[in-house]
Amino acid sequence: MEPTRDSHATLVDLLDRILDKGLVIYADIIVSVAGIPLIGVNLRAALAGMETMLEYGVMQEWDERIRAWERERRGEKAVSMVSGDGDGPVDATAFAG
Amino acid sequence: MQHADNVRVGPSEGEATTKVEGRYLYCVADSGEKVSLGPIGMNGEEVYTVPYKDICAVVHDCPAEPYQSADAEVVKTWVIAHQRVVDKAWEKWGTVLPLGFDTIIRDQAGSDPQQNVENWLAADYQTIKRKMETVRGKAEYGVQVFWQPRLIARHIAETSAEIGGLEEDIKSKPRGLAYMYRQKLENALKRELEAKADQCFKDFYSRIKKHVCDLRVEKTKKADNDRQMIMNLSCLVDGDKSTDLGEELEGIDKMEGFSVRFTGPWPPYSFVGAS
Repeated sequence: MEPTRDSHATLVDLLDRILDKGLVIYADIIVSVAGIPLIGVNLRAALAGMETMLEYGVMQEWDERIRAWERERRGEKAVSMVSGDGDGPVDATAFAG
Repeated sequence: MQHADNVRVGPSEGEATTKVEGRYLYCVADSGEKVSLGPIGMNGEEVYTVPYKDICAVVHDCPAEPYQSADAEVVKTWVIAHQRVVDKAWEKWGTVLPLGFDTIIRDQAGSDPQQNVENWLAADYQTIKRKMETVRGKAEYGVQVFWQPRLIARHIAETSAEIGGLEEDIKSKPRGLAYMYRQKLENALKRELEAKADQCFKDFYSRIKKHVCDLRVEKTKKADNDRQMIMNLSCLVDGDKSTDLGEELEGIDKMEGFSVRFTGPWPPYSFVGAS
């Protein structure tokens, strides 16, 4: 199947990326954007009501568990990379979370 | 908040009449070029690069305040403009690290925002270069797998001895007891559905993993009435591997009761953050 990026059909996908992700700057020269997540939530609600998580009770716990499983797997990979060959300094932040 | 559309402060104009004390950041690109991309930014702002060595930040001039609006349409226009600029840079320079919406570098006592952008590029240069190498020649794709729980539940009911037995029990019990058995049946079905979702997730995960360089498991979202999202992935894919991934997904999409949503190519938003 072919991937789609039709701007109307994939607006929610774009929002998921642009509002929650991307390169992060940790410095005090960044304008505080404390109000932004609110914009994101409102906008999503207005567009599609997509922000609602899984129906409570039915699959929520499962969703958390499956993501924890993946984090664990990635964690293992990260550890093996850190303890692996020593070609250059390892940036600890790359493996955080 | 208002942004004055008539104030255009390009890289070559120097001092503006209105005080401009921020730089809105779109992305960091794989080029040391100092160039203007034209008035393609949010609200038609002039977009240009701030180079440092062989990389540059793609920015426009703005007040040192976040862009905010209660009007979803306005924010939507901004978000699309943000993406358009990142796309343009991606197309032009091949490798970009996109920033999230509303990242603005401001001035500080003793240094203007331009200087602060350069200082940031200089301070984070190694990290930025390393991240660029991890995403070079790759693009992000969204993969969402849905199933129809009712259809899957019916399959389970047909094949599970436990559930089949409970269904038989309900038929033969008086009303009050039948209710209790129905509860039991629902719980058993819920457990089986979760186990099945678990199994599908792990199966699909390993099938998809073969075709991607990296992947992130995202929160699943509510879907429409008769569908449920059981998997939401962001995948980092090598330029020529997206066809293979598409073929794999087609296999999943064709399974009865399952469907796949495949979006992209996106700039690598999910693979340039802290984690």
